[in-house]
Amino acid sequence: MASFILRRIAVSVLILLAASFIMYVLAANSGDPLRDLRGGNPATEAQLIAARTAALDLDVPAPLRWFLWLGGAAQCLIPFANSCDLGLTLNNAEVATILPSAMLSTLQLVTVATLSAILLGVVVGIVTALRQYSGFDLTITFVSFFLFSLPSFLVAVLLKEFIAIGFNNFLQQGGAIPAVTVIVIAIVAGLIWQVLIGGPLRRRLTVFAISAVATGVVLGYMAVSEWFQNPGLGPVGILVGVAVVAIVTTLLVSGLGNRRALTTAGISAALAFVAYFALQGLFDISSVWTLLFVFLATVVVGLAIGWLLGGPDRGQSMRAGAITIGVSMVLVFLDRFMQSWPDYVNSSRINGRPIATIGSQTPGFNGDVWLTGIDSFTHLLLPTIALLLISFAQYTRYARAGLLEVLNQDYIRTARAKGLPERTVVMRHAFRNMLIPIATIVATDVGALLGGAVITERVFAISGMGNLFATSLGRTDLNPVMGYFLVIAIVAITFNFLADLAYAALDPRVRVR
Amino acid sequence: MTNTNRWARRSAAAVAAAGVTALVLAGCTTGGTEGGDDAAEGGTITVAVTNEVTSLNGSTPQGNLDTNGMVGYLTGTTGSSGGASLGGFYTLDEEFNIVHNDNIGTYEKTADDPLTVEYKLNDGLKWSDGEDITADDLLVGWAIGSGYYNDATLDEATGEPTSGTQYFQLAGSTDGLDTTAMPEISEDGLGLTLVYGEPFVDWELGNLLDKPAHVLAEQAGVTEEEFIQVLMDTPKGDPANPVEPNETLKAAADFWNTGYDFTSMPTDESLLVASGPFIMSDYTPNQSMTFSKNPEYTGEDVPAYDELVLRFVPDANAQVTALQNGEVNAIYPQASADTLTALENANQTVIEGDQLSYDHLDLNFGSEVFADANVREAFLKTIPRQQILESIITPINPSAEVLNSQIFVPANTEYTDAVAASGYDAYAEPDIEGAKELLAGATPTIRILYNTDNPNRVDSFQAIQASATEAGFIIEDAGSPDWSSLLPGGEYDASIFGWISPGAGNSALAQIFKTAGGGNYNKYSNAEVDEMVDAAQTELDPEALGQLKVQIDAATAADFYGLPLFQSPGLFATNGTVDGIEFFGNQTGIVWNAQDWTIAE
Repeated sequence: MASFILRRIAVSVLILLAASFIMYVLAANSGDPLRDLRGGNPATEAQLIAARTAALDLDVPAPLRWFLWLGGAAQCLIPFANSCDLGLTLNNAEVATILPSAMLSTLQLVTVATLSAILLGVVVGIVTALRQYSGFDLTITFVSFFLFSLPSFLVAVLLKEFIAIGFNNFLQQGGAIPAVTVIVIAIVAGLIWQVLIGGPLRRRLTVFAISAVATGVVLGYMAVSEWFQNPGLGPVGILVGVAVVAIVTTLLVSGLGNRRALTTAGISAALAFVAYFALQGLFDISSVWTLLFVFLATVVVGLAIGWLLGGPDRGQSMRAGAITIGVSMVLVFLDRFMQSWPDYVNSSRINGRPIATIGSQTPGFNGDVWLTGIDSFTHLLLPTIALLLISFAQYTRYARAGLLEVLNQDYIRTARAKGLPERTVVMRHAFRNMLIPIATIVATDVGALLGGAVITERVFAISGMGNLFATSLGRTDLNPVMGYFLVIAIVAITFNFLADLAYAALDPRVRVR
Repeated sequence: MTNTNRWARRSAAAVAAAGVTALVLAGCTTGGTEGGDDAAEGGTITVAVTNEVTSLNGSTPQGNLDTNGMVGYLTGTTGSSGGASLGGFYTLDEEFNIVHNDNIGTYEKTADDPLTVEYKLNDGLKWSDGEDITADDLLVGWAIGSGYYNDATLDEATGEPTSGTQYFQLAGSTDGLDTTAMPEISEDGLGLTLVYGEPFVDWELGNLLDKPAHVLAEQAGVTEEEFIQVLMDTPKGDPANPVEPNETLKAAADFWNTGYDFTSMPTDESLLVASGPFIMSDYTPNQSMTFSKNPEYTGEDVPAYDELVLRFVPDANAQVTALQNGEVNAIYPQASADTLTALENANQTVIEGDQLSYDHLDLNFGSEVFADANVREAFLKTIPRQQILESIITPINPSAEVLNSQIFVPANTEYTDAVAASGYDAYAEPDIEGAKELLAGATPTIRILYNTDNPNRVDSFQAIQASATEAGFIIEDAGSPDWSSLLPGGEYDASIFGWISPGAGNSALAQIFKTAGGGNYNKYSNAEVDEMVDAAQTELDPEALGQLKVQIDAATAADFYGLPLFQSPGLFATNGTVDGIEFFGNQTGIVWNAQDWTIAE
């Protein structure tokens, strides 16, 4: 094992050196870093060219200049010396200082999108595999390929037009939904639900009718009560929410037959409901850390309840308790965010048009954790959706294929034959093995994460890694290009390495030597 | 273990847990709800611009970028090389006339021989940190702009000094001010008198208010008095006899050169010190910069609103949707036909005009084929300038016209006279027959150099190629992405590229038209023009100067120097929430009259 790791590290360093040299020379020859100065203002042109040449050693040929760059970059290896010298940009900014801020913007942008893509993709993939060739499966297949083939700039423009400008106009005009729209949305919702649930015609009709009427009533109520101006779940909404969370969690974790788990989930949900009333005062003076602490504390409480009530199979109850109370607290937080929504929308910097199309925050906007949270949400909503739609498709396909393959294996047939309930077969025996190939994809995806999303970043004016790379390469600004290269090369190599190790950990048949 | 013991321990654990919880919560909470809304009552105007801010000093080679220039213009510490600013001695009007800025002080020419200019600051002016603005600050501005103390000999190739010291690194030139002697400061400490060694045409561009003296002094580790004393005592630099650099001056200059470059909100507030109506108050890296009112500003250019926010949005279409969505009140995108269409579809108010950069076709006087004036004239007669304009510029700016002067732009008052004298307007449409007559059957080969990466230049080249071929010319495509490094070489017969007209000021004349001038790539040489250019550099009478420039324009036209083609179009837009936005063609761009904007009701 140790020799394997050492060998991998040695090889990685060599790869990094060779790749950086090739990258440096190619990027240096891709254009003229003095282009913006030439043929500009005749009076000062020669002077400006001379100044830039001197500042960036442009008179040294690129292959030799690489050694100068390497000499500075190598200083990053000296621990605690803080002497990292990745060179200067054309505008005299230190690459070592602009890289972290670019990385931060990118992480902020892609983290939520990637996590929700994995979660949604895997869930939808599992459902489609379980209902292979059903109407739902075919619809999702169609939708995911459709989304996968949409160019991200087009998605971005559509999102801006309809979700940002359209929704903001809707809010500004008082949030009234015409009756016709309500009916159309209700019918569409009904159609979608009957496809999802499936079954014989009679059942489909019932599902259609119920869901259409329910959607219509809820939408109508929202319009009449001006819900979009003053959103909130309210005590009733929270109560219904936590109850559903408790039942669904138990169903997935242990099955409703496990009374101890069900009781744990019920008590956890009840506690979350109590917390909804008890913690409002604390929420008003909360910081991000308070919320994190409250969340973790409640999860611990959920685990404790499961431990106390769990009996012989404590693990199941503890999981049910923790997941139930965690998700329920998220609902409680969500309600509190909604309570701050009117304050946010009516702030003079927002002017009644909350959904933003550029940047990641409103300049000069200050407020408590709820208001700044909403500000981040309104800014990152569109780019997150744009990224999500594309990677979602990929995960759905992998999850579906993975589960189908696993379900056809002998041990699944054995499990079914010995009379295990279908829930146990899928959640215990199939699900975990399905995760092996997904884990590899996730590992490489995380490596690609930091590379940024060039187009999405540019269209939404977020200056992350992708934007840094694209603009710098466009100006033949070598040092930031190399800084970008260094970060993503190291991350990619590291995560490939980790994926190899993860394989060995997940699959006993693989040995690392 | 007894039951009592177990209970005691459990309650102790519970109490401990509760205690920890209380502690953590106490440590992690805030003082209570703050209003999410700290915008003051006067309102905020937000403008989207294309490029990011990189430095608070736009006068250095690396800081010389358009958005940095806007910041200098608004806050007012641009110095002589940064040019016009709201907190300096002059601003420009829409015709690029120099307007003296009474809010700061006055300056006037008191004698022609030797040229003497008296600067006088208004009494009671203060920097935004409360320090007085005095003649000491003007002396510092002069020291920076004149390069008085430099004794460096620069290596032609690398620009690095081979001997001596180059103190302040300017993006602009020290021409003019470099002939001045050590200025005299008046007794009241508010005035300063400059005596030029030789007459200098652009003396009015000598804005002596640069970065504050007290800030540079502090950065150099001395008091303001000591710093001024150093400036007064240090002798003029002589490149022939370089001396040891003055430590204080070097420290101050080094700070001025790079200390104002930033990548996050500067922690040192002295960097933000402003003399103009605006002061930078907040900066989010790569996203936005906020300006609020300078509390110490006493002039008349106080904005009617509280905050000006510049948001950096490189993508023009993203700017348009942000404008449509009301996130910004106005935008300043790179002009293109697509952007214009998007703005029109979104029903936004578009404000168009011409920028100061212009494309032109130059004939190489060093090439054999153009040695014959008839060939030059014939070639110019084939240039389809109207067609080029209509295919490249009209889609962006429908009211654009062909540029008919090498020196003036239509916004200048002298433009009409210049066109009348030069007759460039006769070349609007190609005259193929006339060209054929002049060629008399000859078929000269013309190599045209242009930038193949610039679609506008490619279009221009193709239009010229098609038209000139009709008249019998054989056009060789000498275009290259490396056109700029080929430009001085002369391995071509004609070149298509762009200059940025200064708008105000005359420094480009000698560079472009004088024999062996720095920007005279086409080896143009005319003794008469050389004389006129020299005369123009020392002409102090504006009327006579205008006449001289018109004559230079006409003389180059008579020599068939080449043809100006068009000005690049510029584009602002607003969504109707701001009144008072007007077009301006130079680098200051949209914010040039930000002090006059009002928020629409």
